[in-house]
Amino acid sequence: MRFQSFEEMIGFWAERKKSGPALIFDEGGRKSWTYEELLRHIRERAEALRAGGKSCIGILADGSRDCVVEIFAAVAAGLQVVMLDESAPEELLRRLIVYTDVDTLWGDDDLCEELSPALTAGVKDGAKKILFFTSGTTEQAKAVVLTEQSLCSSAYNGGEKLPLSPEDTLLCLLPLGHVFGFVCGLLWGLSCGAAVALGRGARHYGDDCAFFEPTAVSVVPLLLGFLLQRRLTNPGLKLVLVGAGDCPAALLGAAAAMGLRVSFGYGLTETSSGVAISVRGDPFAMEICPDDRITLAEDGEILIEAPTCIMQGYYKRPADTAAVLIDGVLHTGDLGRFDKEGKLHITGRKKDMLVLPDGTKLYLPEYEARLMKALGHTELAVILKNSRPVLVWSGEGEPEEILRRLRPVTEDLPRGQQLAGVLVVNDPLPRTATGKIKRWELQRKMEA
Amino acid sequence: MNREEILDQIKTVIFDCFPDLRDADLREETVVNTETAIDSMGFILVICKLESLFGIKIPQRQWNKLSTLGDVADAVQKALQKK
Repeated sequence: MRFQSFEEMIGFWAERKKSGPALIFDEGGRKSWTYEELLRHIRERAEALRAGGKSCIGILADGSRDCVVEIFAAVAAGLQVVMLDESAPEELLRRLIVYTDVDTLWGDDDLCEELSPALTAGVKDGAKKILFFTSGTTEQAKAVVLTEQSLCSSAYNGGEKLPLSPEDTLLCLLPLGHVFGFVCGLLWGLSCGAAVALGRGARHYGDDCAFFEPTAVSVVPLLLGFLLQRRLTNPGLKLVLVGAGDCPAALLGAAAAMGLRVSFGYGLTETSSGVAISVRGDPFAMEICPDDRITLAEDGEILIEAPTCIMQGYYKRPADTAAVLIDGVLHTGDLGRFDKEGKLHITGRKKDMLVLPDGTKLYLPEYEARLMKALGHTELAVILKNSRPVLVWSGEGEPEEILRRLRPVTEDLPRGQQLAGVLVVNDPLPRTATGKIKRWELQRKMEA
Repeated sequence: MNREEILDQIKTVIFDCFPDLRDADLREETVVNTETAIDSMGFILVICKLESLFGIKIPQRQWNKLSTLGDVADAVQKALQKK
């Protein structure tokens, strides 16, 4: 079903699915709300938010039932919603609150109190806007302006390619502050009338499958590896949607060998999540979603037209928006090819960016500049080795000493973005005539 | 429980979770991210096992900052004192 708003989506199923659950959660045991109950809670909370007179709410998303209600209620109440990562450093959160005009916060009480001095006067034209940060909440992350309509359309696209039934239970393990987690962990299920089981956070990655007994789950590659290696999936699980990062073929093969149907999705925050999904056969051969049109530029760059799902732009950054969104076409910076059947395969990246297995991204010029400043050395670059970021240092140096000097500038980063090692090389780094690092060449060289 | 005993327990948990590291010389100053093969998911597993073993909660906002085994021992010690 195609919905224009979250309230319409939940209301539709409230009328049709009277007794089955909409949300399943842990509240001293497995509890649930029906669609009708969820709708009632959203409406009550929206009423309170309307009366509160605020205009832009920052949600320190913890993935709880109340968090879900707050997001939907804030949108229904006409507030601008900003999805923030509650584990990000406080100083960074303060800057993002100012940047996105947040005038009220929802989340952990202590954290909200600490951040409250950064609150602003709010915004005038924020209704229906939902802001997600590209690559999670990082220093240079841009806030992408999406709407409930674009997010509902994205969920519709997913449901058209991979339908769930009202009898299914979708386990939501990923952070709701990440657009893949929000759409593919929550909205996909709700738009199909399925039950959405709200994962209990990182501490329970290991036992949430056993606790909630889902039939479907959305994961990032790192989490898939964790679940498979330790055999933590439940017998009733039949569908795994993998997205937000490059996934080793061996991992998908292992999942298939365990009898799991694995689909791989490609999308960006700028497209409200997935635009192409593999449905059957080769998990890397993806069909284009109904609302999307994908073409390739001469150099193989993936270009996306998706009027219903594309972002409005980067918040207060018109130049950045204009650089990627040209005449309604999103220039992704990703490289791809079509096979004989017209299915899309991702082949690489044009942008100076690494996509990590936990779904976050490293913008290399920014990241490397930070390292250069700390080290006073410019002959360095970051590559991926065994799926983890590793520093390549050209010149004389001791890896342990380099890492020790870098620790103060990297310790606030998410663990997956912290350096896993240093490779010291004698040769100069390969560069183009204009001095840019030839990243593909360096990556190939270091792998060899 | 003294610090040495806490460190021993941390090492035991790591060895249980990652048998390949049994021969590794793990010390206070060992940096988890770079000197072991433990990735971010593996680290969550270790922390969860430690929380369950000691009956404590290490606030999730602190996890990224636990760089060395000594940092982990500090966090455990602090949480034990709060019990």
